[in-house]
Amino acid sequence: MKILIVEDEVKTGEYLRQGLSEAGFVVDLVNNGLDGYHHAMTEHYDLVILDVMLPDLDGWHILKSLREADKTMPVLFLTARDSIEDKVKGLELGADDYLVKPFAFSELLARVRTIIRRGTKTPRDNVLSIADLELDLTRHRVIRAQQRINLTAKEFLLLELLISHKGEVLPRSLIASQVWDMNFDSDTNVIDVAIRRLRSKIDDDFENKLIHTVRGMGYMLDTADKI
Amino acid sequence: MAQPTSLRLRLTLLFSIVATFVFLLFGWVMERSIEKHFEMGDIKELKLISDAVIPLLQSLNVNQDIVQIKQRFDDILIGHHHPLLRIIDRSGNLLYNSPELDLAQVPIPLSSAPLRQIVQKWRNDKNHYRILIQSANNDTYTPYTIIVAISTDFHQHFIANFRLILWGMVLLGILMMSLMSWLAVRYGHRPLRHITNQISHISSNELSTRLNPNDVPIELSDLAISFNDLLIRMDKAFDQLSNFSADIAHELRTPVTNLTTQTQVALSRIRSNEEYQEVLYSNMEEFDRLSQMIADMLFLAKTDNKIDPIEMEDVDLYEEVQNLFDYYEAWAEDNEVSLLVEGTLQLRCNRLMLRRAISNLVSNAIRHTPKGQTVIIKLDRLQNRVSIIVQNPGEPILSKHLPKLFDRFYRVDPSRQRTSEGTGLGLAITKSIVEAHGGSIHVTSDELKTQFQIILPIQLNKLNSG
Repeated sequence: MKILIVEDEVKTGEYLRQGLSEAGFVVDLVNNGLDGYHHAMTEHYDLVILDVMLPDLDGWHILKSLREADKTMPVLFLTARDSIEDKVKGLELGADDYLVKPFAFSELLARVRTIIRRGTKTPRDNVLSIADLELDLTRHRVIRAQQRINLTAKEFLLLELLISHKGEVLPRSLIASQVWDMNFDSDTNVIDVAIRRLRSKIDDDFENKLIHTVRGMGYMLDTADKI
Repeated sequence: MAQPTSLRLRLTLLFSIVATFVFLLFGWVMERSIEKHFEMGDIKELKLISDAVIPLLQSLNVNQDIVQIKQRFDDILIGHHHPLLRIIDRSGNLLYNSPELDLAQVPIPLSSAPLRQIVQKWRNDKNHYRILIQSANNDTYTPYTIIVAISTDFHQHFIANFRLILWGMVLLGILMMSLMSWLAVRYGHRPLRHITNQISHISSNELSTRLNPNDVPIELSDLAISFNDLLIRMDKAFDQLSNFSADIAHELRTPVTNLTTQTQVALSRIRSNEEYQEVLYSNMEEFDRLSQMIADMLFLAKTDNKIDPIEMEDVDLYEEVQNLFDYYEAWAEDNEVSLLVEGTLQLRCNRLMLRRAISNLVSNAIRHTPKGQTVIIKLDRLQNRVSIIVQNPGEPILSKHLPKLFDRFYRVDPSRQRTSEGTGLGLAITKSIVEAHGGSIHVTSDELKTQFQIILPIQLNKLNSG
């Protein structure tokens, strides 16, 4: 998976490249709009991460030119400006997502993965599984090591989110917005409590722990202890 | 849209129009009355002559000498302003005609009515006359037609001259009046210029200046008072703004100091990987706090300044509160606090914003509720407003804190500033959201409970970024 980053702020660009490279992506980084446009036109990318405010050619211009040239690769906007007008403008021009600075890297990574997955369009399974844990979406059932586990509706949603992003770190804000539709950061540890409760049902009785805390970033569902 | 016409021009024009009207009326009346005066004089003279002629005619003897008769008529005419006289008898024979002009051209009305005298105007090639005709009717005892004429040229001449002077005066009067009113208006506007001058000298650091309403004419004191009110509001807003900037600087200083110190200490000598990791994690917590603060402040700025229009929809608040409880349930259970909602409510509002406002109150309430007790949300519809109450038992908030509770960065217990209680903007955000919806929020606190009440108007259809 190849990603192009167009970001004029050198430090931000470098860290994005490092982070995304270490997450397994092939990353090209350019520091101005013209180079960005040129790269995007001539090479194949699975995703372009575009800063709106660039010194020469702004992100909207680049996106517009790309779409006019029938380049349909997904585009994720980064911007320091947070107004609905900007958001609407970006999405109208054909951007796939929109992230306001300052953002957490884990949030960016989660969104990048979501966009790229959207592009590949794998058919959704009705049964999600990891190790000996099975999640039956149609019958709303959770089974671990042949044992039926009873979850509340929200716990089920939470587990579904974790398992469909297995191996990825999910930041608390993303979990709050996906499971409870809370799109603002709460100053409470509600998510931690919810995870702890889920853990007590899923992990506590088993040797092999599946839910992992990634300190300072969020939570992850995975087979091995990677952290 | 074009700027409205200037007051000076407007008033000058109005005054000029009024003056013109008055002067024209005056001129017209003057002219008419002079004309009338002359007419009356003429008629009086004509009648005098005719009245003198009639007894003479009656006393006429057929045998009298024609020359002698003429002489007697001539005598009557002496002493008047060159009147002309013509007398014909019933059968049309000329009895007398003034030697100066033959009055045979004067048309004699063939009226059979018992009209004895008519006065009318007549003119021949050269001159204007006013004439009196006394017809000879069968019934009348004087079987003569008498025509008396007086030249009115002298009067006409006088009137023409008078008219010239009169209208000249009228025109001059109008011009004078316009000029005077222009000057008067200019003078009258002096207090206005004065107050404008005063206002224009108030700069942003002199917002404590006030206009004296007694210094200006009574019509302007309202303006001065409203302007003072504006100054007070601006002064307050300015104060808040500068305090806010100071607060921000202060709030930012702490995490930035932590970051700097921690990092410098960490770098001051070689450490183990674990120690570096620990520093990075600790830094990240500070960064998170900073990001959170920035996001909250941006949200506040947007809501306060109504940058984005508020999109309204019909919201079932009971359902919203249930969702919030769903979210907070586990955390509340951990704290051994129960959640309860009473009443139902439908409301037109921005769902996400109101959710956030209530969420802040709920998380606050849960945090301050003693174990085993209950946070209660009451939804209620008043006449044309709705009330949302979030109440929790617990230690009362001291009354000195209550008015400042919604201020940005205000913390009841300053020492708790650096705990996990967030940015100190939660209640400010709640208040900002409520006010963006045209509502208000109040807090009361006593030994039994602390209660936040949001009051919102029901009709909110037209609220947006205006």
